[in-house]
Amino acid sequence: MFDRLFYREKGLFLQSFHPATVLVYLLVLLILSLIYDHPLYLLALFLLLALLIREVDGLDAWEGFLKAGVFLMLVVMMVNPLVIRAGKTIIWHGPAVPFLGKLDISMEAVYFGAASSLRLLVIISIFCLYNLMINPDKILNLFSRVAGKSVLVMSLATRLFPTMVRDLQRIREVQQLRGVDFDTGNLWQRAKKYSGLYNVLLLSSLEGAMEIAESMQARAFGSGRRSVYSRNILRPRDLFCLGGSLLALSAAVWGLRYGYGRYTFYPEADFLIKDGATLAVLFIVLFYLSVPLILSKGWKHCRFLKSKI
Amino acid sequence: MPLFKVENLTYYYPGTEKPALKNISLEIREGEFLLVTGGSGSGKSTLARVLAGLIPDFYGGRIGGKVFFRGREIRTLDRRKLAREVGMVFQDPEKQIVQSCVEAEIAFGLENLGLPPEEMSRRVAEVVSFMNLSPVQEAFTANLSGGQKQKLALASVLAMQPRVLILDEPTSQLDPVSAEEILNVVKRLNEEMGFTVIMVEQRLERCFHLADRVLLMAGGEIICHGSAAEGAREAVRRGLPFVPPVARFFACLNSPVVPVTVKEGRELLQSYLKGNIAVTKPDVPRRNHNSNIKEHEKNSIISLKNVWFGYPGGQEVLKDISLDIKEGEFVAILGENGAGKSTLLKIMVGLLRPGRGRVYVRGKEVGRNGFKEIRKFTAYLSQNPNDYLFQETVEDELLFTMRNFGLKDRGHVEEILHRLQLEPYRRRNPRDLSSGERQRVALASVLVTGPGLIILDEPTRGVDLGLKSVLGHFLQEEAAKGKTVIVVTHDVEFAAEFAGRVVMMFAGRIVADGEKHAVLGRSVFYSPQISKLCRGICDGVLTFAEAQEQLGPLLAAKPAALIKSTGEKAIWGRAGGCTPH
Repeated sequence: MFDRLFYREKGLFLQSFHPATVLVYLLVLLILSLIYDHPLYLLALFLLLALLIREVDGLDAWEGFLKAGVFLMLVVMMVNPLVIRAGKTIIWHGPAVPFLGKLDISMEAVYFGAASSLRLLVIISIFCLYNLMINPDKILNLFSRVAGKSVLVMSLATRLFPTMVRDLQRIREVQQLRGVDFDTGNLWQRAKKYSGLYNVLLLSSLEGAMEIAESMQARAFGSGRRSVYSRNILRPRDLFCLGGSLLALSAAVWGLRYGYGRYTFYPEADFLIKDGATLAVLFIVLFYLSVPLILSKGWKHCRFLKSKI
Repeated sequence: MPLFKVENLTYYYPGTEKPALKNISLEIREGEFLLVTGGSGSGKSTLARVLAGLIPDFYGGRIGGKVFFRGREIRTLDRRKLAREVGMVFQDPEKQIVQSCVEAEIAFGLENLGLPPEEMSRRVAEVVSFMNLSPVQEAFTANLSGGQKQKLALASVLAMQPRVLILDEPTSQLDPVSAEEILNVVKRLNEEMGFTVIMVEQRLERCFHLADRVLLMAGGEIICHGSAAEGAREAVRRGLPFVPPVARFFACLNSPVVPVTVKEGRELLQSYLKGNIAVTKPDVPRRNHNSNIKEHEKNSIISLKNVWFGYPGGQEVLKDISLDIKEGEFVAILGENGAGKSTLLKIMVGLLRPGRGRVYVRGKEVGRNGFKEIRKFTAYLSQNPNDYLFQETVEDELLFTMRNFGLKDRGHVEEILHRLQLEPYRRRNPRDLSSGERQRVALASVLVTGPGLIILDEPTRGVDLGLKSVLGHFLQEEAAKGKTVIVVTHDVEFAAEFAGRVVMMFAGRIVADGEKHAVLGRSVFYSPQISKLCRGICDGVLTFAEAQEQLGPLLAAKPAALIKSTGEKAIWGRAGGCTPH
């Protein structure tokens, strides 16, 4: 059930980048999603992410991530107009409420709520793309030179999580057939039933931990300084992507210095497209950010490009 | 100079007063294939851990005597150096994998040895190629099958290029096909690459013939070590079940030669019966525990009608299954991994609902959350007995189930503890017991309600031959009382010995269903060793007892061939090991 939310090796082009490249690229996307206020810029990032997620065959997983985000999005969209009084264009005069005062809802507050929600969806989509693009083991491998033991613990946790989800399901079934009804009783009774369930899981996991430790000892773990086996390869595609990411970030920072990507919500919302330069800067940033997407398409359809990257 | 030399080894686990190993003395030559066998708690896994240097380093405890590896005391060896020389593969593939990616797992040991990257790359490539792991090289370890995981565990040890390979029941958790694959690799490593192999194993019919020497252990002591034939004779003499059926058959005959493979056995049998081969289909007496009730008069307990099932987003697991199981039947469901056997059981107990088709239990259709309606009547034992154990004592474990169903009669608890020989452990924490004992506690915890339907998923996995026999007889008794027993198993020998009816599944379909002789007797691959031995000589024989019954009179006519040089005459059943297990 949860499998689709995690990384699966599909042999896709976008999964073949060096993990450092993907980290830089996603970091740039994250920075831009945080520094941009402009709804159009955020919308463009969202659409780019949608295309990338589609390219990495992850629309199913994205749906799962978005479902989790939609609740937060609704909360932001509803609470923001109720508590913000800075907007000038009032679209609904509400009653006076203790502590909050008069509930006047302004158009600008709705705009701001919508833009914030969009930002939230962009950030969620970045994490979704991370899960789809990078094998977590390769990321851990990247850091194992600097933090070997912590990385190993994380790697073990990554490996054991799906196993534990499966174990929990199995133990639940076993207990149900031994007469435990998890969906009946008051809160205390249910908590007690679930504690039994987790108790089995904990006991079995502790026993499993001893066996894993024994197997590690048998393979000389802790017998001296370790070396690191690296499986990551740097290809021309990584250089293109790194270049694109850095150029996009530079162009975005330059644009922001001149106000492109900023947006004033209060007291009165700004024009969505103030001038041609707003669109030009957006186009440039978006072009650089689209490098992995363009390369992926080229990989599929252009034999020449495929042989060069 | 022997590779290993063990002198007067005695070992106590921490906090115990009973030695796990008692005064063991042993020598192991370089390049030898040593098979270590014995019952649960006989000390075979402990001995393997001593030879791998894990005892007492990892476990602690008290140790006496000495263990030498290539002339040096093993405890004085640097751990890294020892790991380069001696590799160990454990029983449960799930519990020895550390990394989340296959390639990283193979490199794990190499990283621990501090090898340079070029050396690691070379070794990983070699091992991936040798073990044929290329298709899953980039795969997530959590997504591998049990067999692939055990192959990976073996690969990660082989990458360290040890001189000695110690395997602690490497196939006990695997299906027959995966087990065969692992054993073939081990055989190649020993025969073609000169590895010294020390294998602890209970699935003897597949590996007995591979061994140069067999070591039989009981109560922490070596009770016999010698060639496979010598081991077989000694086990039979002592009444122990740790002998493959073919070897047991001939050892019981006091045959001067004890064959360990079906091929050798058939040659010998044919030579004994020269000119007198009875290619017959004898009228093997069929045991029927409910002979006083006619088949058609029995009530249907489980009935599946055109059942289809597929997991969301997955392939169809069950395809048009129709099955009718009556009261008092003991049914074994056989089939390869992924054939849909466990899913079928879950459908039967109402944990899963079929996509199409109907399931009736005692004539009543099982609907949504159907398990709630039938669970008081049903005992279901999953593949992992540990899923059942979390109470303070064995007795509490049984009382937990009783309480959940509102049952108060403690007589059931006493009865089931007695029948499953669990009385001595009633106040013990179930997690402190051995794997075979845990299995019985888990079984007791579901049987305590006195169910009419007993459904077990792989109950013989990791269980020694002695306990397997206890379990088989227990289930036969339950069936004889009119209860219905359904067992999913890979263990053809178990099915042949104890079940009455066999259902074979393949790719979600039932491909054979009928009385066990009709199904297993006709199969080439899913037939027990005794059946393979007798095929074409005395068809229709499945079990040891039937072979005794059918071939006994024929062989008795040839006394000269069966008289040992000592002049001892062949008499069936003279030793304990000659009674059916």
